Amino acid sequence: MILQLIISSIVAGSIYALMGLAMSITYKASEIPNFAQGEMGMVSTYITFVALSSFGMSFLPALFFTLLFAFLLGVFLEFAFIRRAKNPTPLSFIIITIGFQLMLYGFAGWKWGADQRRLDLPFSETKTIIQAGDVTISELNLATVAIAILMMGGIYLLLNKTKLGLAMKASQQNEKAAQINGISTKRILAISFGISSMVGAIAGILVAPIITLDPSMMWDPLLKGFAAAVLGGMKSLVGVVIGGFMLGLIENIFGFYISIEFKSVVAFVIIVVILYFKPEGLFGKHYVRKV
Amino acid sequence: MRLKLKQDYFEDIELFEDRVPIFWSVVLLGFLFALPFFVKSYYLTILMLMSVNAIVALGLNLLVGNTGQISLGHAGFVAIGAYTAVLLTKAGAPFIVSFAAAGVVAALFGILLGVPSLKLEGPYLAIATLAFGLAVTVIIGRMDFLGGRMGVSVPKLSLKWTGLKYDTSLYYLIIIITILLTIFTRNFVKSRIGRAFQAIRDSDIAASSIGINLTKYKLLSFGLSATYAGLAGALWAFYLGFISPTNFNFILSIMFLATIVVGGLGFVGGSIMGAVVMTFLNIQLENITDVPILGSLIEKFSEAFMMHSAISNVSWVFTGLILILIVLFEPMGLYGIWLRVKLYWKTWPF
Amino acid sequence: MALFEINNLTKRFGGLIAVDNLSFSIKKGEIFSIIGPNGAGKSTVFNCINGLYKPEEGSIQFKGENLIGQRPDQVAKMGIARTFQNLELFAHMTTIDNLLLGRHLHMKANLGQILGLNFRRSKAAKEEITHRRKVEEIIDFLELESARDQYVSNLPYGKQKLVELGRALALEPELILLDEPAAGLNQEEREEMVFWIQDIRDQLGVTVLLIEHNMQLVKGISDRILAISFGKKLTEGTPAEVLNHEEVIKAYLGEVV
Repeated sequence: MILQLIISSIVAGSIYALMGLAMSITYKASEIPNFAQGEMGMVSTYITFVALSSFGMSFLPALFFTLLFAFLLGVFLEFAFIRRAKNPTPLSFIIITIGFQLMLYGFAGWKWGADQRRLDLPFSETKTIIQAGDVTISELNLATVAIAILMMGGIYLLLNKTKLGLAMKASQQNEKAAQINGISTKRILAISFGISSMVGAIAGILVAPIITLDPSMMWDPLLKGFAAAVLGGMKSLVGVVIGGFMLGLIENIFGFYISIEFKSVVAFVIIVVILYFKPEGLFGKHYVRKV
Repeated sequence: MRLKLKQDYFEDIELFEDRVPIFWSVVLLGFLFALPFFVKSYYLTILMLMSVNAIVALGLNLLVGNTGQISLGHAGFVAIGAYTAVLLTKAGAPFIVSFAAAGVVAALFGILLGVPSLKLEGPYLAIATLAFGLAVTVIIGRMDFLGGRMGVSVPKLSLKWTGLKYDTSLYYLIIIITILLTIFTRNFVKSRIGRAFQAIRDSDIAASSIGINLTKYKLLSFGLSATYAGLAGALWAFYLGFISPTNFNFILSIMFLATIVVGGLGFVGGSIMGAVVMTFLNIQLENITDVPILGSLIEKFSEAFMMHSAISNVSWVFTGLILILIVLFEPMGLYGIWLRVKLYWKTWPF
Repeated sequence: MALFEINNLTKRFGGLIAVDNLSFSIKKGEIFSIIGPNGAGKSTVFNCINGLYKPEEGSIQFKGENLIGQRPDQVAKMGIARTFQNLELFAHMTTIDNLLLGRHLHMKANLGQILGLNFRRSKAAKEEITHRRKVEEIIDFLELESARDQYVSNLPYGKQKLVELGRALALEPELILLDEPAAGLNQEEREEMVFWIQDIRDQLGVTVLLIEHNMQLVKGISDRILAISFGKKLTEGTPAEVLNHEEVIKAYLGEVV
């Protein structure tokens, strides 16, 4: 039984980690916690749904269009709203992203209704791949973990081994200096939003088969992903991934042994307690303002 | 420009700077008190809702606008206040006791939440307060003596002695409490404690260097802000007549935050304006298709491209858009617009 | 007895020793300056006194009381005010509100009394008026009348420095710590600042501890000067002694090979 619990934790943790990474990419770039992340993933998932069911595409082209849409949506958020803010405070960005979240939520509800829809992926939840004793792993479980790990690797390579990643790092650390060296920091920020939106879209596609596709499907994954990112330290990619898996584990273990109803509450309480002792998250660096 | 030369220091802290605002305040008060004799009780319920939202906004603005902290869990305090009041009223406590208790219990929870929040900033504080808001509703949902997830009906107050209709008496009660709290808040902001809050917002390092105890004042800010929410929660419960945990969800917390941003962060007048406008807007947006011109345009668009039966969702789109536009173009909110209009008229025609 | 005394103060950041075994003392009514090149650890000394940093070793005593381990607000309560090198003003408030905040420790009105603020005879209003009067005196003293009702973020840099000085004075401290009071000022403003600092000591009787790397300013007003480099004491004495000291010249101009 404990093995099955660990497997469910890893599956849930993969999704939290993906959402956390999506939040972390933009947060690293701009210190903006993007509350619209979940809804951006949700709308992107609807694009997959429409491509699959209305246009009869096969999965890979549908995925391609979804990612393209997600990227453009991210760039749009940065270009149309974030960039326009004058003398912004951290709170103004929170409100802007919450505003965008509400817009997307309303739009999806208006366009597709509140009905719960089924998203059919090439890997299904009902097909069992491994069955050993009382441990079951479905196709979807395996695909979720595999895709998540693939994404994490991809993000790591992108941020650490490419010219784009270097430019992103440079503009995070010193915007002025990056500009002097010929980096368009605004364009870099827009691209960061685009990439993070793509990561969120993948998370959305993986979530949808588990809890059906509807406009509020990403609320829980967003909060958990955000919590995972905060737990790990917001700006540390490795920390965020570890935070995601930890959150999955805490939640599932607690849910099984004590109370399923309180499982998210307890997860959050544990996070608050950890933050009390490590205010910058487990892997975040403490920053002291100089006077 | 009408320049008023101040003659002593008291004039700097007076409630009204000269006779004009006194006149308008009296007119407004008269209007509010005469209203029940002229309009249907539907309009009274709207005003009650505005007032309750205004009380939460006043408190939240002290925390967010004045002290520079953030709370994504204020609905939790409202819930605590509401359930405390219901529990005590059911046990036979008079209104004044259950009302005060709602504030006190919420304040205790506010201070409790404030303790871990002392060290947290930005997204870390956001997630901690958000967690609190979620936890409150889940826990209340589990308590059977509070009605659990199904909710609980709120006993009516004994307001017969007023000799008025129940709705009308409740209206007067809520309006009077709101006015008193508004005046208190305005005094508070101008006092040493209010100034200390703003000092923490602008520079916590400088604030501590001039002798402000950060721990004490941040906890006070959390506690006070929660008190307002708790008091508003009690009034809200009596106004609704029936409450359940879903009344106090995450979206409500977001709406409170939106209210003060739209109204104007750090301004008492902003809290009131925000509450009035956002409440009004929420009601209007629910019937957006009735708005001339725009309504029919939206309807046509909806029929052509969207799922027409789900057209009510358009209110979310507009709420979101309004939030973004306010932040982008009027960071001081409606109160900022009001200040500019006032200045314009003062200096008119120059 | 010295009003203020530091003994063997050491502050490390990881492997870096910012302040190294530093000792000095200040007499009441003195203007005492610490000079040193950039990065010599001057501001770190202030942050240790003020309670923002906790030093690893040594003692800091003010009027015989220990300062180490006290929070900044407790240090302020003991009668030590400070300014900051890069200004830490309350930017979204007016000059008068900034100065009134300096009176925070002297005001006592509690939550209950605030309710009565609207009535001229109430305790809270009376107290508020007394302190407003006091603040107006400081505005007079520093000639800040024109800036009185302006948001400090709209003021020119020189005025902002004065507002910060005024806020520190509003505490009515016994000792004031000035962190590079002339940095960023033009020639004229710098000369004015010299007068203010002298007036603070002569008219208000406040003991002054200041940090500067501008030698000219220090030379004119200091009673005694302490020169430090890389957190260590180079020398201490009258302006003439210190500024002609070989080590000091070396620290400033670099080694002559």
